[in-house]
Amino acid sequence: MVLENIVKLEDGIPAKLHFWDHRIERRTITDAATGAPTIRQVLVLEVDTLNDRAVAARLSTMASKLADKFSAYLPDKSYRNYDFVITQRGEDFRRSWSVKAIPRPK
Amino acid sequence: MARKTRQVETRLTAEYIKQYYSEFPSILGQPLGVVPTSLMEQEGYQRALGIMRPFRPEADALVILPRHLLLIEAKVWHVINGLAKLPMYKSLVPVTPELREYMPREVLMELVVGWTSPNLEIMARDHGIAVKVFCPDWLTKVVQGMHHYWTKEYREERERKLGLREYFGVE
Repeated sequence: MVLENIVKLEDGIPAKLHFWDHRIERRTITDAATGAPTIRQVLVLEVDTLNDRAVAARLSTMASKLADKFSAYLPDKSYRNYDFVITQRGEDFRRSWSVKAIPRPK
Repeated sequence: MARKTRQVETRLTAEYIKQYYSEFPSILGQPLGVVPTSLMEQEGYQRALGIMRPFRPEADALVILPRHLLLIEAKVWHVINGLAKLPMYKSLVPVTPELREYMPREVLMELVVGWTSPNLEIMARDHGIAVKVFCPDWLTKVVQGMHHYWTKEYREERERKLGLREYFGVE
């Protein structure tokens, strides 16, 4: 689902995405547990295809459980050579992601 | 309380797959096992998978090879746990609804570790598991730390670091 230019992953619904760029941002957020402001790193992936449809959107995540799954592809931006099918399940700290990497035809 | 462990196994798995299986489709975090047909009929396919999620084990990774499915567990600390899981997970692959489209394929197993030992190799061989040592530069420090974990010097250094993290309230 695309809200404006933000990709929102829906629980249990696989989304197929292609990324063309990324950056790591530092954002100040309010810690849900303590209520205090805290700085977190956010992985922002620029999306140009969502479910085989051209879009100009971005997917952001603070969750290292998801970000780490892309870690190998970030330094050389080799995510450009793959489509990723991401399935998000669960709530809050119990949320998990299954990420399928499909090589694009050369 | 400051966190005492580092989450490195997902990164290790991702880098290993990129290095050795980059030309094949792969899945990081694959739930395994049956989802009751009655639940699927009642709730629908996707919702049933969601309801069953907490009750199904999850493999670190699965690579879809032309004639095989390759199950991968990556372990840095509790390597025997990874070894023990793989044959159990293998038994669930043929009944996993998300993998039905890839069957029938023979299932192979690989345990990815930063270091190995003769005992690990013996146990793995006995269960048909290939042990793959994969230790990128960033992991070397973690592995060294693990091997020195119970030495006096490392214990003191660890307590000093944890104390500072606790004092400054950082993770």
